[in-house]
Amino acid sequence: MITFENVSKRFGERLALDNLSWHMDEGEAVAFLGPNGSGKTTVLRLITHEIQPSSGKVTVGTFHARRLRRGHRALLRRTLGIIYEDFRLLNDRTIFENVALAVRIAGRFANEEVIPRVMYALEEVGLQLKQNAFPAELSAGERQRAAIARAIVNRPAVILADEPTVALEKKSAEEVVALLRRIHSEGAALVLVTTRREVADGLGARIIHLDDGKLVDSDGQVMPSGVAAPARPPVSDPSLAAGSSGAGG
Amino acid sequence: MHLFYLREAARSFRQHRGLAYTAVFSLTAALTLSGVLLLLTHNAEVQMQALGDRREMVVYLRDDVTPSQRDVLVGRLTDLYGPVTYVSKEDAWKDFSKQLGDPSLLEAVPDNPLPASLRVKLRPALLTPGAMDLAAKQIGEFPEVEDVRYGEEWVHRLDQIGATLIKGTIAVGVVVALAILFIVYNTIRLTVLARRPQVEIMSRLGATDGFIAVPFVLEAMFEAGLAAFLSLALLFGVQQGLSARVVGLVFLPPTYALAFVGAAIGVAWLAAMLALSRVLRAVGP
Repeated sequence: MITFENVSKRFGERLALDNLSWHMDEGEAVAFLGPNGSGKTTVLRLITHEIQPSSGKVTVGTFHARRLRRGHRALLRRTLGIIYEDFRLLNDRTIFENVALAVRIAGRFANEEVIPRVMYALEEVGLQLKQNAFPAELSAGERQRAAIARAIVNRPAVILADEPTVALEKKSAEEVVALLRRIHSEGAALVLVTTRREVADGLGARIIHLDDGKLVDSDGQVMPSGVAAPARPPVSDPSLAAGSSGAGG
Repeated sequence: MHLFYLREAARSFRQHRGLAYTAVFSLTAALTLSGVLLLLTHNAEVQMQALGDRREMVVYLRDDVTPSQRDVLVGRLTDLYGPVTYVSKEDAWKDFSKQLGDPSLLEAVPDNPLPASLRVKLRPALLTPGAMDLAAKQIGEFPEVEDVRYGEEWVHRLDQIGATLIKGTIAVGVVVALAILFIVYNTIRLTVLARRPQVEIMSRLGATDGFIAVPFVLEAMFEAGLAAFLSLALLFGVQQGLSARVVGLVFLPPTYALAFVGAAIGVAWLAAMLALSRVLRAVGP
């Protein structure tokens, strides 16, 4: 479903990603774990075609061209659900309108389907009673749940989460992780980027360690091949995933 | 979905009222200037048509024309050029006396020197300088005709004035269209840049350029339409105010007014599309 083949990305003189190769199948959960500046967010930006690789090839589903036309890029993004660390909700709209916007952008659903889809998504994240609230009226945890509702409302095949708990205090962070775990167990593939080990473990995700743009093992040693180990079969029970974070994934 | 776009356009208009009102004000000023010239041109056309209705060619007859020859000539001229009225020497003398106002002034004149004449009311198709020149020449060649007069100088002048006004209106119209293009183009650019965070989020969620652009285009068209109606209202006020002093000053007919509004909206649409095709590429991630 998502494949990176010898992908490098350079920003001027800085090498943000160095010869990274990894693959994930449908229904998998992968967590990119590493300190700030290790290239984790660059991976997400390559998946969404916000940037193009300096070398190598990125394949997302059936999208594999090096540079997509604007229309195809928009189409790709509509197949993904994206959660940002700063939520990126529209402050001039209610939570309902924010989630409904994703439905309208998808353009696949009739007008009469919008309300039930949005309400279902809000119920899944526990915000159905706050549908008419504006983002500024919600706590950080609630805003992140609203962002999750927006990401899942169209039932995407893949959900990308960029540091979804970084702006949250402990309890809210745990709630968000539990929510993501439940969503993943319902079949959505998940690519998570985080600096927190406990978040990756909480999801039962296959962990890929990055440091300074390079693939490293769990001890921080650079892996010369730059290839993350293939996935084990996806699990929905985190207890079965204990010890699943091996060298390079 | 169309309701969604309209709501988005309304939301953008509300959130950037200052920018929107500035655009409407500027567009109204530009359109009013164009509207003034359009109004002047239309009124000039109306007046010239009215004058044209009264345009007559006076055909002076030779003194030795017999009644039967005159009747044959009247028939020919009616067939070729339009309705003909016969003014006898006596009628001409009476008209002249009335114009003078004091019949005693004419007592010293022993004989009536005025010739009989035919007043030819030309058909509308002949009311152009070229056609009138030709008609006068042709009528002058009849043997019964002494002379033909029709005020060729002011006919030419009126038509020149009309042509100049039309050219002026077109020139001003082009300048105003460019002004509208400029105003709307920059307003849309500024509006998109002001809404950059929203545009970026929509782009990241997979919105196409069309999805993002339609509300802005609708907003631009609304602003231009509003400005056009305001300028028409201003022009109407001016026309009503002046019509007491300037007899016969009329407002634009409905078709002109609709075309005026339509043209403003059309130019705004074009300007918005041009602006968005450039600015969305710069803003969207």
